[in-house]
Amino acid sequence: MAYTVQDRSPVFLDRDSPLRPDITLVVAYLVLAAIGLLMVYSATAPGLSARGLDPTAELKEQAIFVVIGFIVFGVASSIDLMELKGFVGPIYAISIGLLLVVLTPLGDSEGIAQRWIDLGPIQFQPSEFAKLAVILMLASLLAGAAVPLTWQTTLRAVVFVAVPAFLIFSQPDLGTMLVFGFVLLVMLFVGGATLRQLGFLALVGVIGTVGLFQLNQIDEYQINRLTAFLDPASNELSLSYNQVQSEIAIGSGGLFGKGLFEGSQTNLQFVPVQASDFIFTAVGEQFGFVGGAIVIALFGVILFRLLVTARSARSRFSYLVVTGIAAMFAFHIFVNIGMTIRLMPVTGLPLPFMSSGGTVFVAMSAALGLAHSAWIRRNMTLAERPSEL
Amino acid sequence: MNSTMRLGVVGIVFFALLGLLTLRLWTMQIGEVEAYEERALSNQSRVVATPAPRGDIYDRNGVKLAGTRSALAVVVDLLLVEEEERELLARNLAAFLDTPASEILDQFANDSQGGRVTVAEDISEVDATLIVEHREEFPGVSVIPQPVRTYPEGELAAHVIGYIGRPNEEDLEREDVKPTDVVGKAGVERSYDALLRGSEGAIEYRVDAKRKVLSLAGETVPQAGGSLVLTLDSALQEQLQDSLRDGLVQARRLEMRERADSLVERSRSERIADALAEAQEAALARFDEATGSTTTTTTTAEPGQDDDDVPAPPEEVTVDPLTVLGSLYPGLPIDDDGICVPTQRVTVAEGESGVLSGIEPRFLKVESIDTLDDDLVATVRIGTDRYTVSDNDSFAGTLQVLVVTEDEVIVYHRDRWCPVRSVGVVLDPNDGSVLAMGSYPSYDPSVFVGGISQTDFASLGTASALQNFAVQGLYAPASTFKAVPYVLALEESYYPLDRGVGDKEVGDEAPAEEESPDSAADSSAADSEGSNGDSETTDAAEEAEEPQPLLSDTDEYSCSGEFKFRLSDGTVQTKRDWKWPQGHGPLDLHGALQASCDLYFWDMALRLWDERNDETGVDKENLLQEYSRSLGFGTATGIDLPFERDGLVPDRAWFREEQRAETGRVRPDGPWVGGDLMDIAVGQGAMLSTPLQLANGYAAMVNGGTVWQPRVVDQIVDTDGEVVDEYPRVPLQQVDLDPRTVRMLRQDLQQVVNNAERGTARAAFADFGPNVEIVGGKTGTGEVIKAPRTEAFRQVDNAFFVGVAPINSPDYVVSIVVERGGSGGRVAAPVARQVLQYLVNGPEGVTELAPGLDAD
Repeated sequence: MAYTVQDRSPVFLDRDSPLRPDITLVVAYLVLAAIGLLMVYSATAPGLSARGLDPTAELKEQAIFVVIGFIVFGVASSIDLMELKGFVGPIYAISIGLLLVVLTPLGDSEGIAQRWIDLGPIQFQPSEFAKLAVILMLASLLAGAAVPLTWQTTLRAVVFVAVPAFLIFSQPDLGTMLVFGFVLLVMLFVGGATLRQLGFLALVGVIGTVGLFQLNQIDEYQINRLTAFLDPASNELSLSYNQVQSEIAIGSGGLFGKGLFEGSQTNLQFVPVQASDFIFTAVGEQFGFVGGAIVIALFGVILFRLLVTARSARSRFSYLVVTGIAAMFAFHIFVNIGMTIRLMPVTGLPLPFMSSGGTVFVAMSAALGLAHSAWIRRNMTLAERPSEL
Repeated sequence: MNSTMRLGVVGIVFFALLGLLTLRLWTMQIGEVEAYEERALSNQSRVVATPAPRGDIYDRNGVKLAGTRSALAVVVDLLLVEEEERELLARNLAAFLDTPASEILDQFANDSQGGRVTVAEDISEVDATLIVEHREEFPGVSVIPQPVRTYPEGELAAHVIGYIGRPNEEDLEREDVKPTDVVGKAGVERSYDALLRGSEGAIEYRVDAKRKVLSLAGETVPQAGGSLVLTLDSALQEQLQDSLRDGLVQARRLEMRERADSLVERSRSERIADALAEAQEAALARFDEATGSTTTTTTTAEPGQDDDDVPAPPEEVTVDPLTVLGSLYPGLPIDDDGICVPTQRVTVAEGESGVLSGIEPRFLKVESIDTLDDDLVATVRIGTDRYTVSDNDSFAGTLQVLVVTEDEVIVYHRDRWCPVRSVGVVLDPNDGSVLAMGSYPSYDPSVFVGGISQTDFASLGTASALQNFAVQGLYAPASTFKAVPYVLALEESYYPLDRGVGDKEVGDEAPAEEESPDSAADSSAADSEGSNGDSETTDAAEEAEEPQPLLSDTDEYSCSGEFKFRLSDGTVQTKRDWKWPQGHGPLDLHGALQASCDLYFWDMALRLWDERNDETGVDKENLLQEYSRSLGFGTATGIDLPFERDGLVPDRAWFREEQRAETGRVRPDGPWVGGDLMDIAVGQGAMLSTPLQLANGYAAMVNGGTVWQPRVVDQIVDTDGEVVDEYPRVPLQQVDLDPRTVRMLRQDLQQVVNNAERGTARAAFADFGPNVEIVGGKTGTGEVIKAPRTEAFRQVDNAFFVGVAPINSPDYVVSIVVERGGSGGRVAAPVARQVLQYLVNGPEGVTELAPGLDAD
């Protein structure tokens, strides 16, 4: 009897199957995506209907990307990281190439920053995929290196990060550049760098940042964004307007929030770009501390599962890739949510799985899928792996 | 450190970061939630003020002079209009509202009302419906009701009511005044502004971040302002304004006739003959044409008349001498009726010429307009003279620049001798209530509602139509002031010296000389003999009799036409009475007032000066000034109208102060002299009074000595018609007048109007009709300026008349001034006569205006 049931079940749901997915991770991912869609709808519907447009327009668009993202997640889960290892070089090269395209007239600019490639109906943001390419490249480099890392390996790792970072910086996108820095540090650390090496890199980073300021290589709007954070009340209507409005929205949410569609700040569109960068504001205002804490907890679950995956990874490459992806998520989550509650400056990093934006959702899903793939294949030798998956 | 440990460290870092986020969320959403809630609330409400209707203004009989109606205003909520739609919207609105699109776009750009711009203030119901029905062409446009001020009686009592407008900087200093408010700018609209305005209401809306209104959050209903009940009688006011207007037109007509008379007779008749011949020829031609063909003539001004009217036969043609006069003075400002107008407005474009009035027409050429230090400066040429002028500059004698724009210059040419305006006040001497008040030219306060155009404002400004000259105009009251020394004479039993008859010298004038401390003594006219060793002493010595003071008001004084007196430097000065050379003959005090004999009062002042002149004890020498001041001259009366002027009663202290400050109003050197006091006695010199002060002074003299504070507001009424406040009757001063003095004054004023032999207003009141015997008054003719008389610009005096009725128990005091109108007896008295006829005999008793005879 029991065997019949098992026979009918898909093989990956079998409790003992080596191919069984990480249910906890997948559920957290799906719940976050669902909350994200609901929040996008609540933040955009009043504005759209006020303009006489279909209130679900933005929701529908985002839903399409979410579905694509789910597919991409599934596909990425089926990719064996060990097989992918052979393509790391070309993937890295292509992503560098795409970053270069953004800087050409093909790139489409939004606001001051030029981050997009316009592909007719779809806009594509290469920097999102560059993050993943860099993680793969670093993992590939560090996987083969002896522990503790040599100075030479460390410097090579810095160079691999610096090239796309420089290109992204010229776009300019300070937030993404900082993601690279954080991911680099975490991956070097778990890859076996000495504390001295890490300390040295941190020092160089600080000096380099100061130098960029001194040489006026950082655009004024980036400085303004950062300094506005220090005293948001002083220019409430200028740069940090978003942040102040967001803070008011979340703060006024209270313990349980104002209720769905009852958030005056969110539903009356006091918070600009809410569906993308400030999506957490909608959660905080409408569902209060409870809702916010649940979302943070879901992210905690994902990070925890990724770290567990990393620990159980069968290869050093997988171990490094998964840790890198976890670092990327962690940084995005902290900086983005921190920004909405005035804990961090405004840097324009989206919140994984929740912020509206097609490229982001698909790229983040791809990254999570790759990490998930490492979990699925944690106990397999190469020979055990089913070729059809 | 193995990889698991390293992962553990990373995990700790990750969860520390998530913990930090949760902690911050906790403090915000649990700890400070109230503060954030408050900020969120204030974020989403917008308060729109709803204006309160201004209180009404009624006359004493309940006639509404100012009210409020609800009008439909067109407003644009800019935040609901996309940037790129604005131009199209402006064009649509422009076509609809008939205003230039650029103006509407300017309003959009200069929006200061938080996104709501009022583009039209008062549109018809039909238009409103059209807008509402065509919403798609007018995005963001709404039609809302708004209170609008109305003045149902137009120009009636405009100067008392005043007008409203946007607040200026000074208004904004007041409490509760916002730049978008409407405040009173003149009249009671200004002096009772706080009361009339009421308190505005507010509507609180819940809005989204784009300030789009979502719902109504609350409403405070505006509180209408209190209403005023004035002391004015609107029917009397209408009579006064009609009489003032007709009187001024008559004065202008008379003035033109005077000018015509002063022309060479031959030239005049020649031109009239020419004009007549020309007119006859034209009429003949028209006649021929009309009878010769059936087609209508196109040359006639009114084509409609040509269809049926047979042209007048040629022999009936006449010409109006006044119109012909226009051709005699080709450049003079003359209106279509051949009446002189005081100002000519000339607009000249750059590089072109304009014609200026004058005997010989002059051409004003604007050569260039340049920018100098941010100001526009025009270079203009008249004949061979070249002037560089900017805004408000006066040049070439009679010209004043109004404004220099980038491509044209607007100048005013002032005909200084054309009657400028007429002013009138009717007071109730029993309590100081103003029954009627105004000046002409006037204005309709309605033109200010919703903003006045610049050209309208400029033309009202040219004519000074906005000022209430009854309280703002300062005039030397001339002979009307003689009533004050008259009262002084009776009260103090102080009369002039009888200095004999005729034009012989009667003594030397005695200015206080600075170099001689005892100048008062040695220049005393009474004993001038011997004190002056100059050549005139012999003349004086030849006179057997020393002049003696008159002892009573019935002692006769030799009132000749000329008054000669010797100055301390030996020169003899001559002052001439208005009735020079024939003179008045012997007159007592009463006769002197009735006939307005200057000499009597000059002599009185000179005696006062000689006897009491004292540089140190100025209070002793200022007896006449004290009487004047106690009757209200020299100080604003405190009437509840804005901008009231003080007037001036000059004395030695004032004179010295003016000299020290070098104001230019007095001669730069030399002391205060007896001649100055003589001028005051006949209301000339530096003496200045408003028409209201004059009326109020007379009111005090005829009512027995009570100086009331004049008032125009009687009661303040709330919206339910309940009397909230009553404006008190305030006696400013009680002058202790002997009843006999009052009786005498009334009698003599009655004689001015009724005495056939010498009453200066007798001619003007000749066809008064019944009850003329209960009417009294006093004429006055004020010299304006001692300018060289030329053929082109004659000297024209200010005409005054103060009337009192009924004379034995006065209920009305009427004060009339016709500025540069001519003599009081001829020009001002007839105006007052009409008003008094109305008061005494009712509206039917008013007869047609006719000039009186020239009399001071």
